[in-house]
Amino acid sequence: MRRLGLLVLGLVAGATTALAAQQSIAARLSGRASPEIVTLVQDLGSSAASRGLPVDPLIQKAIEGNAKGVPSERVATAVRLVYAQLDTAAAALRSAGLNSPPDTVQVAAGGFAITAGLGGRDIAELARTGRPAAAVTVGLRVAGTLAALGVPPTEAVTLVSASLRAGQAPGDLLALPGRVQSEMARGATPAQAAAGLARAAAAQARHGPPPHPGPPPHPPAPPHP
Amino acid sequence: MTKSEFDPQVKQLLDGELTLADLPAELRQEGEEALRLLAAVDREPLSLPAVTWRVMATLERRRQRRLTWLLAPALAAAAALVLWFGRPANPPAAASSAMVTVRFVLVAPGAHQVSVAGTFNRWDPSATPLVRSGSADVWVATLSLPPGQHQYAFVVDGVRWVPDPTAPAIDDGFGRRNSVLTL
Repeated sequence: MRRLGLLVLGLVAGATTALAAQQSIAARLSGRASPEIVTLVQDLGSSAASRGLPVDPLIQKAIEGNAKGVPSERVATAVRLVYAQLDTAAAALRSAGLNSPPDTVQVAAGGFAITAGLGGRDIAELARTGRPAAAVTVGLRVAGTLAALGVPPTEAVTLVSASLRAGQAPGDLLALPGRVQSEMARGATPAQAAAGLARAAAAQARHGPPPHPGPPPHPPAPPHP
Repeated sequence: MTKSEFDPQVKQLLDGELTLADLPAELRQEGEEALRLLAAVDREPLSLPAVTWRVMATLERRRQRRLTWLLAPALAAAAALVLWFGRPANPPAAASSAMVTVRFVLVAPGAHQVSVAGTFNRWDPSATPLVRSGSADVWVATLSLPPGQHQYAFVVDGVRWVPDPTAPAIDDGFGRRNSVLTL
Protein backbone atom coordinates (compact mmCIF):
# COMPACT_ATOMS: atom_id res chain seq x y z
CA MET A 1 0.00 0.00 0.00
CA ARG A 2 2.82 2.35 0.89
CA ARG A 3 4.59 1.52 -2.39
CA LEU A 4 1.44 2.26 -4.33
CA GLY A 5 1.18 5.59 -2.58
CA LEU A 6 4.75 6.46 -3.48
CA LEU A 7 4.14 5.43 -7.08
CA VAL A 8 1.06 7.64 -7.33
CA LEU A 9 2.95 10.48 -5.69
CA GLY A 10 5.77 10.04 -8.19
CA LEU A 11 3.39 10.03 -11.14
CA VAL A 12 1.63 13.15 -9.90
CA ALA A 13 4.96 14.90 -9.34
CA GLY A 14 6.12 13.90 -12.82
CA ALA A 15 2.91 15.11 -14.42
CA THR A 16 3.13 18.38 -12.49
CA THR A 17 6.73 18.88 -13.60
CA ALA A 18 5.85 18.15 -17.22
CA LEU A 19 2.91 20.55 -17.07
CA ALA A 20 5.10 23.24 -15.55
CA ALA A 21 7.68 22.69 -18.29
CA GLN A 22 5.00 23.02 -20.98
CA GLN A 23 3.69 26.21 -19.42
CA SER A 24 7.22 27.55 -19.21
CA ILE A 25 7.78 26.86 -22.90
CA ALA A 26 4.47 28.50 -23.79
CA ALA A 27 5.36 31.55 -21.70
CA ARG A 28 8.78 31.91 -23.31
CA LEU A 29 7.33 31.59 -26.79
CA SER A 30 4.36 33.84 -26.13
CA GLY A 31 4.20 36.40 -28.92
CA ARG A 32 7.41 34.99 -30.41
CA ALA A 33 6.12 31.97 -32.33
CA SER A 34 2.98 30.81 -34.08
CA PRO A 35 0.57 28.52 -32.16
CA GLU A 36 1.60 25.47 -34.17
CA ILE A 37 5.27 26.11 -33.41
CA VAL A 38 4.47 26.53 -29.72
CA THR A 39 2.71 23.15 -29.76
CA LEU A 40 5.58 21.53 -31.61
CA VAL A 41 8.19 22.89 -29.20
CA GLN A 42 6.08 21.78 -26.24
CA ASP A 43 5.89 18.25 -27.64
CA LEU A 44 9.55 18.07 -28.51
CA GLY A 45 10.44 19.79 -25.24
CA SER A 46 8.63 17.13 -23.21
CA SER A 47 10.39 14.42 -25.14
CA ALA A 48 13.73 16.17 -24.76
CA ALA A 49 13.33 16.64 -21.03
CA SER A 50 12.46 12.99 -20.55
CA ARG A 51 15.57 11.97 -22.47
CA GLY A 52 17.96 14.32 -20.72
CA LEU A 53 18.25 16.69 -23.65
CA PRO A 54 18.26 20.46 -23.21
CA VAL A 55 15.07 22.28 -24.13
CA ASP A 56 16.50 25.76 -24.50
CA PRO A 57 18.04 25.23 -27.98
CA LEU A 58 14.58 24.23 -29.29
CA ILE A 59 13.03 27.39 -27.88
CA GLN A 60 15.87 29.53 -29.20
CA LYS A 61 15.51 28.15 -32.71
CA ALA A 62 11.77 28.81 -32.71
CA ILE A 63 12.29 32.39 -31.51
CA GLU A 64 15.07 32.93 -34.05
CA GLY A 65 12.92 31.74 -36.92
CA ASN A 66 10.09 34.02 -35.91
CA ALA A 67 12.43 37.00 -35.51
CA LYS A 68 13.83 36.41 -38.98
CA GLY A 69 10.38 36.20 -40.50
CA VAL A 70 10.76 32.58 -41.54
CA PRO A 71 7.56 30.68 -42.47
CA SER A 72 6.28 28.33 -39.78
CA GLU A 73 6.85 25.16 -41.83
CA ARG A 74 10.51 25.99 -42.17
CA VAL A 75 10.82 26.88 -38.51
CA ALA A 76 9.30 23.51 -37.64
CA THR A 77 11.86 21.74 -39.80
CA ALA A 78 14.70 23.65 -38.19
CA VAL A 79 13.44 22.92 -34.67
CA ARG A 80 13.17 19.21 -35.46
CA LEU A 81 16.69 19.27 -36.84
CA VAL A 82 17.98 20.83 -33.62
CA TYR A 83 16.25 18.08 -31.65
CA ALA A 84 17.87 15.42 -33.83
CA GLN A 85 21.30 17.01 -33.42
CA LEU A 86 20.92 17.12 -29.65
CA ASP A 87 19.83 13.49 -29.66
CA THR A 88 22.85 12.52 -31.74
CA ALA A 89 25.16 14.42 -29.43
CA ALA A 90 23.68 12.79 -26.32
CA ALA A 91 24.01 9.34 -27.84
CA ALA A 92 27.61 10.02 -28.79
CA LEU A 93 28.45 11.24 -25.30
CA ARG A 94 26.83 8.19 -23.75
CA SER A 95 28.72 5.92 -26.13
CA ALA A 96 31.96 7.40 -24.85
CA GLY A 97 31.41 5.53 -21.58
CA LEU A 98 31.53 8.52 -19.27
CA ASN A 99 31.33 7.89 -15.56
CA SER A 100 28.24 10.04 -15.27
CA PRO A 101 25.51 10.69 -17.82
CA PRO A 102 26.06 13.88 -19.84
CA ASP A 103 24.34 16.95 -18.48
CA THR A 104 22.20 19.20 -20.64
CA VAL A 105 24.95 21.83 -20.95
CA GLN A 106 27.32 19.25 -22.36
CA VAL A 107 24.67 17.91 -24.72
CA ALA A 108 23.93 21.44 -25.93
CA ALA A 109 27.64 21.94 -26.61
CA GLY A 110 27.67 18.68 -28.55
CA GLY A 111 24.59 19.72 -30.48
CA PHE A 112 26.30 22.94 -31.49
CA ALA A 113 29.38 21.01 -32.58
CA ILE A 114 27.22 18.80 -34.77
CA THR A 115 25.51 21.85 -36.28
CA ALA A 116 28.97 23.15 -37.09
CA GLY A 117 29.88 19.97 -38.96
CA LEU A 118 31.24 17.45 -36.47
CA GLY A 119 29.86 13.92 -36.33
CA GLY A 120 28.85 11.64 -33.49
CA ARG A 121 32.23 9.88 -33.58
CA ASP A 122 33.99 13.22 -33.22
CA ILE A 123 31.90 14.04 -30.17
CA ALA A 124 32.66 10.66 -28.61
CA GLU A 125 36.36 11.04 -29.30
CA LEU A 126 36.47 14.35 -27.48
CA ALA A 127 34.55 12.89 -24.57
CA ARG A 128 37.06 10.04 -24.33
CA THR A 129 39.97 12.36 -23.60
CA GLY A 130 39.38 11.62 -19.94
CA ARG A 131 39.15 15.27 -18.97
CA PRO A 132 36.55 16.61 -16.52
CA ALA A 133 33.09 17.18 -17.93
CA ALA A 134 33.44 20.97 -17.79
CA ALA A 135 36.63 20.83 -19.86
CA VAL A 136 35.00 18.50 -22.39
CA THR A 137 32.10 20.94 -22.68
CA VAL A 138 34.48 23.78 -23.50
CA GLY A 139 36.30 21.46 -25.88
CA LEU A 140 33.09 20.66 -27.72
CA ARG A 141 32.27 24.35 -28.12
CA VAL A 142 35.78 25.12 -29.33
CA ALA A 143 35.79 22.20 -31.76
CA GLY A 144 32.48 23.42 -33.17
CA THR A 145 33.84 26.93 -33.47
CA LEU A 146 36.90 25.64 -35.31
CA ALA A 147 34.68 23.73 -37.71
CA ALA A 148 32.66 26.90 -38.20
CA LEU A 149 35.90 28.61 -39.20
CA GLY A 150 36.42 26.03 -41.92
CA VAL A 151 38.71 23.62 -40.09
CA PRO A 152 37.84 20.08 -41.24
CA PRO A 153 36.24 18.08 -38.40
CA THR A 154 39.12 15.62 -38.17
CA GLU A 155 41.68 18.38 -37.71
CA ALA A 156 39.40 20.25 -35.31
CA VAL A 157 38.98 17.17 -33.12
CA THR A 158 42.69 16.34 -33.29
CA LEU A 159 43.60 19.84 -32.15
CA VAL A 160 41.09 20.01 -29.31
CA SER A 161 41.81 16.44 -28.16
CA ALA A 162 45.54 17.14 -28.05
CA SER A 163 44.90 20.36 -26.16
CA LEU A 164 42.63 18.62 -23.68
CA ARG A 165 45.14 15.81 -23.16
CA ALA A 166 47.86 18.39 -22.63
CA GLY A 167 45.77 19.70 -19.76
CA GLN A 168 45.34 23.13 -21.27
CA ALA A 169 43.22 25.54 -19.24
CA PRO A 170 39.81 26.61 -20.55
CA GLY A 171 41.22 30.01 -21.44
CA ASP A 172 43.84 28.36 -23.64
CA LEU A 173 41.20 26.22 -25.33
CA LEU A 174 39.02 29.24 -25.95
CA ALA A 175 41.97 31.02 -27.54
CA LEU A 176 42.39 28.32 -30.19
CA PRO A 177 39.91 29.77 -32.75
CA GLY A 178 41.63 33.15 -32.53
CA ARG A 179 45.03 31.51 -33.01
CA VAL A 180 43.74 29.60 -36.03
CA GLN A 181 42.35 32.83 -37.46
CA SER A 182 45.73 34.50 -36.97
CA GLU A 183 47.43 31.71 -38.92
CA MET A 184 44.78 31.98 -41.63
CA ALA A 185 45.42 35.70 -41.89
CA ARG A 186 49.06 34.80 -42.58
CA GLY A 187 48.03 32.57 -45.46
CA ALA A 188 47.58 29.13 -43.89
CA THR A 189 44.50 27.11 -44.72
CA PRO A 190 42.25 26.31 -41.77
CA ALA A 191 43.45 22.70 -41.85
CA GLN A 192 47.11 23.72 -41.91
CA ALA A 193 46.62 26.18 -39.08
CA ALA A 194 44.87 23.61 -36.92
CA ALA A 195 47.42 20.89 -37.71
CA GLY A 196 50.30 23.13 -36.70
CA LEU A 197 48.69 23.99 -33.39
CA ALA A 198 47.80 20.33 -32.81
CA ARG A 199 51.44 19.31 -33.23
CA ALA A 200 52.46 21.88 -30.65
CA ALA A 201 49.76 20.68 -28.25
CA ALA A 202 50.79 17.06 -28.73
CA ALA A 203 54.38 17.98 -27.99
CA GLN A 204 53.22 19.79 -24.88
CA ALA A 205 51.31 16.69 -23.80
CA ARG A 206 54.47 14.60 -24.19
CA HIS A 207 56.97 16.95 -22.62
CA GLY A 208 54.86 19.18 -20.40
CA PRO A 209 54.17 22.87 -20.78
CA PRO A 210 56.99 25.21 -21.71
CA PRO A 211 58.71 26.74 -18.68
CA HIS A 212 56.80 29.73 -17.41
CA PRO A 213 58.92 32.83 -17.46
CA GLY A 214 59.53 33.70 -13.85
CA PRO A 215 60.27 37.10 -12.40
CA PRO A 216 63.48 38.70 -13.56
CA PRO A 217 66.43 37.88 -11.39
CA HIS A 218 67.48 40.43 -8.87
CA PRO A 219 70.20 42.69 -10.18
CA PRO A 220 73.55 42.13 -8.54
CA ALA A 221 74.14 44.27 -5.54
CA PRO A 222 76.26 47.27 -6.31
CA PRO A 223 79.82 46.85 -5.14
CA HIS A 224 80.61 48.48 -1.90
CA PRO A 225 82.90 51.42 -2.25
CA MET B 1 44.77 42.54 -55.68
CA THR B 2 44.51 43.79 -59.21
CA LYS B 3 41.03 42.55 -59.87
CA SER B 4 38.43 45.20 -59.40
CA GLU B 5 35.52 42.88 -58.82
CA PHE B 6 35.10 39.52 -57.14
CA ASP B 7 33.54 36.46 -58.64
CA PRO B 8 29.85 36.25 -57.65
CA GLN B 9 30.52 33.22 -55.49
CA VAL B 10 33.31 35.05 -53.69
CA LYS B 11 30.83 37.85 -53.05
CA GLN B 12 28.56 35.26 -51.51
CA LEU B 13 31.47 34.20 -49.32
CA LEU B 14 31.92 37.81 -48.21
CA ASP B 15 28.21 38.03 -47.59
CA GLY B 16 28.46 35.01 -45.33
CA GLU B 17 26.22 32.96 -47.53
CA LEU B 18 29.01 30.51 -48.39
CA THR B 19 32.08 29.23 -46.63
CA LEU B 20 35.47 28.65 -48.15
CA ALA B 21 34.68 24.96 -48.26
CA ASP B 22 31.62 25.71 -50.39
CA LEU B 23 33.67 27.41 -53.10
CA PRO B 24 34.91 25.49 -56.13
CA ALA B 25 38.60 24.66 -55.87
CA GLU B 26 39.54 27.23 -58.52
CA LEU B 27 37.92 30.01 -56.50
CA ARG B 28 39.27 29.16 -53.07
CA GLN B 29 42.48 31.12 -53.49
CA GLU B 30 40.52 34.18 -54.56
CA GLY B 31 38.16 33.68 -51.63
CA GLU B 32 40.99 33.33 -49.13
CA GLU B 33 42.67 36.43 -50.52
CA ALA B 34 39.42 38.38 -50.26
CA LEU B 35 39.01 37.34 -46.64
CA ARG B 36 42.63 38.20 -45.92
CA LEU B 37 42.17 41.65 -47.44
CA LEU B 38 39.08 42.19 -45.36
CA ALA B 39 40.84 40.94 -42.25
CA ALA B 40 43.57 43.50 -42.86
CA VAL B 41 41.04 46.26 -42.39
CA ASP B 42 40.79 45.63 -38.70
CA ARG B 43 44.42 45.08 -37.92
CA GLU B 44 44.73 48.53 -36.40
CA PRO B 45 42.45 47.79 -33.46
CA LEU B 46 44.89 45.06 -32.46
CA SER B 47 47.16 47.78 -31.17
CA LEU B 48 44.66 48.33 -28.37
CA PRO B 49 46.21 46.58 -25.39
CA ALA B 50 42.95 45.20 -24.05
CA VAL B 51 41.84 43.57 -27.24
CA THR B 52 42.57 39.86 -27.32
CA TRP B 53 40.32 38.69 -30.06
CA ARG B 54 38.30 40.25 -32.83
CA VAL B 55 36.09 39.26 -35.62
CA MET B 56 35.30 41.29 -38.65
CA ALA B 57 32.15 41.26 -40.67
CA THR B 58 31.27 42.99 -43.84
CA LEU B 59 28.07 44.44 -45.03
CA GLU B 60 26.95 44.22 -48.58
CA ARG B 61 26.42 47.46 -50.39
CA ARG B 62 23.16 47.85 -52.10
CA ARG B 63 23.38 49.32 -55.53
CA GLN B 64 20.21 49.49 -57.53
CA ARG B 65 18.81 46.80 -55.29
CA ARG B 66 21.48 44.38 -56.33
CA LEU B 67 24.47 43.26 -54.34
CA THR B 68 27.55 44.60 -55.99
CA TRP B 69 30.93 44.06 -54.45
CA LEU B 70 33.87 46.15 -55.50
CA LEU B 71 37.11 45.59 -53.69
CA ALA B 72 37.93 49.13 -52.61
CA PRO B 73 34.43 50.11 -51.49
CA ALA B 74 34.07 46.80 -49.78
CA LEU B 75 37.20 47.32 -47.75
CA ALA B 76 36.59 50.96 -47.13
CA ALA B 77 32.91 50.98 -46.55
CA ALA B 78 31.76 47.78 -45.01
CA ALA B 79 33.24 46.08 -42.03
CA ALA B 80 32.10 44.95 -38.66
CA LEU B 81 34.28 44.20 -35.74
CA VAL B 82 33.47 42.25 -32.70
CA LEU B 83 36.04 43.10 -30.10
CA TRP B 84 36.26 40.77 -27.21
CA PHE B 85 38.33 42.02 -24.39
CA GLY B 86 38.89 41.64 -20.72
CA ARG B 87 39.30 37.88 -20.76
CA PRO B 88 42.32 36.64 -18.89
CA ALA B 89 44.49 34.11 -20.67
CA ASN B 90 43.85 31.46 -18.04
CA PRO B 91 40.73 32.32 -16.10
CA PRO B 92 40.50 30.39 -12.86
CA ALA B 93 37.82 27.74 -12.72
CA ALA B 94 36.05 29.59 -9.93
CA ALA B 95 35.57 32.55 -12.25
CA SER B 96 33.94 30.51 -15.00
CA SER B 97 30.56 32.04 -14.27
CA ALA B 98 31.90 35.59 -14.52
CA MET B 99 30.43 37.70 -17.27
CA VAL B 100 32.62 38.55 -20.23
CA THR B 101 32.57 42.02 -21.72
CA VAL B 102 32.04 41.97 -25.44
CA ARG B 103 32.14 45.00 -27.65
CA PHE B 104 30.32 44.89 -30.96
CA VAL B 105 31.47 47.38 -33.56
CA LEU B 106 29.93 47.66 -36.96
CA VAL B 107 30.96 49.94 -39.79
CA ALA B 108 27.80 50.37 -41.79
CA PRO B 109 27.81 53.23 -44.27
CA GLY B 110 24.41 54.58 -45.02
CA ALA B 111 22.70 52.67 -42.25
CA HIS B 112 20.05 54.47 -40.24
CA GLN B 113 19.73 51.87 -37.52
CA VAL B 114 21.88 48.93 -36.46
CA SER B 115 21.37 46.33 -33.78
CA VAL B 116 22.70 42.95 -32.79
CA ALA B 117 20.36 40.04 -32.18
CA GLY B 118 21.27 36.61 -30.94
CA THR B 119 20.83 33.87 -28.43
CA PHE B 120 21.79 36.33 -25.66
CA ASN B 121 18.81 38.60 -26.25
CA ARG B 122 16.20 36.18 -27.58
CA TRP B 123 16.95 37.26 -31.13
CA ASP B 124 15.19 40.53 -30.50
CA PRO B 125 16.33 43.08 -33.11
CA SER B 126 15.15 45.95 -30.93
CA ALA B 127 16.78 44.76 -27.70
CA THR B 128 20.39 45.73 -28.34
CA PRO B 129 20.76 48.74 -30.61
CA LEU B 130 24.22 49.89 -31.57
CA VAL B 131 24.93 53.61 -31.26
CA ARG B 132 26.93 55.82 -33.56
CA SER B 133 30.42 56.38 -32.30
CA GLY B 134 33.03 58.72 -33.70
CA SER B 135 32.64 58.35 -37.40
CA ALA B 136 29.08 58.49 -38.65
CA ASP B 137 29.49 55.02 -40.12
CA VAL B 138 30.72 53.33 -36.94
CA TRP B 139 28.17 51.69 -34.69
CA VAL B 140 29.04 50.31 -31.27
CA ALA B 141 27.46 48.33 -28.44
CA THR B 142 29.07 46.82 -25.36
CA LEU B 143 27.48 43.85 -23.63
CA SER B 144 28.26 41.60 -20.70
CA LEU B 145 27.65 38.02 -21.73
CA PRO B 146 27.92 34.79 -19.80
CA PRO B 147 30.61 32.30 -20.79
CA GLY B 148 29.36 29.82 -23.30
CA GLN B 149 28.53 29.64 -26.94
CA HIS B 150 26.46 32.41 -28.49
CA GLN B 151 25.07 32.91 -31.96
CA TYR B 152 24.24 36.31 -33.38
CA ALA B 153 23.77 38.47 -36.44
CA PHE B 154 23.67 42.19 -37.05
CA VAL B 155 20.38 43.69 -38.12
CA VAL B 156 20.70 46.73 -40.35
CA ASP B 157 17.76 49.10 -40.68
CA GLY B 158 15.56 46.53 -39.01
CA VAL B 159 15.37 44.25 -42.02
CA ARG B 160 18.76 43.05 -43.15
CA TRP B 161 20.25 40.17 -41.13
CA VAL B 162 23.97 40.31 -41.69
CA PRO B 163 26.32 37.55 -40.55
CA ASP B 164 30.00 38.05 -40.06
CA PRO B 165 31.82 36.59 -43.06
CA THR B 166 35.20 36.32 -41.40
CA ALA B 167 33.87 35.13 -38.06
CA PRO B 168 33.06 31.52 -37.35
CA ALA B 169 29.64 30.92 -38.85
CA ILE B 170 27.20 28.07 -39.00
CA ASP B 171 24.07 27.27 -40.92
CA ASP B 172 21.08 28.81 -39.16
CA GLY B 173 18.70 26.20 -40.54
CA PHE B 174 16.86 28.84 -42.54
CA GLY B 175 19.25 29.19 -45.45
CA ARG B 176 21.36 31.87 -43.81
CA ARG B 177 24.38 31.95 -41.53
CA ASN B 178 24.74 32.81 -37.87
CA SER B 179 27.97 34.16 -36.47
CA VAL B 180 29.40 32.28 -33.52
CA LEU B 181 30.94 33.72 -30.38
CA THR B 182 32.49 31.24 -27.95
CA LEU B 183 33.41 32.72 -24.57
